Amino acid sequence: MLERIEKSSEIRHWIGDMEADHYYYSAGIAGEKFFVALRDEGKIVGAHCATCNLTYVPPRIYCERCFAELTEHKDMGKRGCVVAFTVAHYDKAGQRLDPPESFALISLGPRTTPLLHKLGEIAPEKICVGLEVEAVLKPQREGKITDILYFKPVK
Amino acid sequence: MRDVVVLGVGATAFTSQTPEVNWKELMYDAAVKAYADAQIDPRRDVDSFITCAEDFWEGFSIFDEFTPDQLGAVMRPMMTVTGDGLQGLANAYMQIKTGMFNIVVVEAHSKVSELLTYEHVVEMAFDPIYERPLSAERNVHPYYVAGLEMNLYLHATGTTEEQCAFVAVQNRRQALSNPLAPYGARIGLQEIYRSGYAFSPLKKWEIASRADGSIVFVLAAEEIARRITKKPLVYLEGIGWSSESPWISARSADAGYARRAAQLAYRQAGITDPRRQIDVIEVEDRFAFKELQHLEALGFARPGEAGWLAQSGALGLDGELKVNLSGGSLGCGDLLEASALQRALEIVLQLRGEAGARQVPNARVGVAQSWRGLPHGTGAVAVFARRD
Ligand SMILES: [Zn+2]
Repeated sequence: MLERIEKSSEIRHWIGDMEADHYYYSAGIAGEKFFVALRDEGKIVGAHCATCNLTYVPPRIYCERCFAELTEHKDMGKRGCVVAFTVAHYDKAGQRLDPPESFALISLGPRTTPLLHKLGEIAPEKICVGLEVEAVLKPQREGKITDILYFKPVK
Repeated sequence: MRDVVVLGVGATAFTSQTPEVNWKELMYDAAVKAYADAQIDPRRDVDSFITCAEDFWEGFSIFDEFTPDQLGAVMRPMMTVTGDGLQGLANAYMQIKTGMFNIVVVEAHSKVSELLTYEHVVEMAFDPIYERPLSAERNVHPYYVAGLEMNLYLHATGTTEEQCAFVAVQNRRQALSNPLAPYGARIGLQEIYRSGYAFSPLKKWEIASRADGSIVFVLAAEEIARRITKKPLVYLEGIGWSSESPWISARSADAGYARRAAQLAYRQAGITDPRRQIDVIEVEDRFAFKELQHLEALGFARPGEAGWLAQSGALGLDGELKVNLSGGSLGCGDLLEASALQRALEIVLQLRGEAGARQVPNARVGVAQSWRGLPHGTGAVAVFARRD
């Protein structure tokens, strides 16, 4: 009753592609700081705005609230708590994900912007807001956000 | 400064498929209806044209170059707003307010059925370094962010999943009285629950399906409109828009973009007590919880109150607040940038007394609110009114 055909592929049509598949994205000054610290020291760093008393994770070179330049970096540690979460059951093709994938906003301290990442080593029904978690890092790191495999519950 | 009125509106029906016309013919259909409604000839009377579009939705590079002919705009001032239909209306409003132009046309559309990689285009709107890689490995649908934001909103306000499911039931039912809406259905809470979690706590049938369609607005300076028509005029009394942080992780739980956009629009329109002053309300509901969040952001309810209003039946044609009588995006379909104009269209029809079975008696003031959708926090608010 609620299903409709939403894509035109079964009807007479002409195929075209947007020639926009390949881009090169720079990490930037703040990104360099973040990814080098993650790769070489296994640290998650943020940038602190003293005016707003707010720390951005990942770091940026400016504060989005007061527009100050941010030069003070902090090691956030690897522990935090879940601010919000979701358990995703579908992939981009509309197929069910088995097992589902869990995502969360993770706060690494008071007055910080949370980090978006995945949760692991926990059953979906056990996840809750406020859950204490810690980052699980890859042993061999390349300077990517996926050097953090996921966050797992603190035992 | 001169006042701005809606001289005419036109729309195609909204449907999940439109293989019988191409995208230009879809726009032409809506334009012809709008010009007839406004009693104007676009080649003679219209000073400026605006479309609202985004290259990636359209499958064209530099899409704005492809829009003049189907609107009657060849050799005229023409521009594309890379934003939603209300942002397009805002530009038209300013073009008329300044005195530069007298009659301005705004068009927005969706031909999303022909976009075979919709999910990939949405994913490409995520930050490529910090956000995209997280879902790329297992090809996760980018709507997972809606689940995260719903969880954030429920936790912050105490709104329940059942209250959100009520919205999905009500808007699909309401769409049955809107002849333009393709997704009307008489279903109950059990169907919503049975559809299961898509991105918990968001359920599958709390997500709007997509639709094709085109909507055209003709705006005019009041004194020009008076020369053309004797019909009561609908005034655009105020319009505002705002963007939150683009970072998914820095987003507020209370749709701050909508709150700010409403403040701008309300100030221009002299709205100080929206719940008492506004008769008809159209807010964005691509995900059912967004309707509740947006009602609170627009000042129709306190944080956490909108869900109770939904559950108690206060948000329908017979309720205290006349919300999404068009069926909203859940009933009309997600029309991309045109969803914003669909909300404005409903308000205009209501204020003119042309809303048929879902007409609110004596509707005088209405508000339309848009949200451009995931993963971003941009939205607009427009206040319309009858003055006669
Ligand atoms: Zn600051």
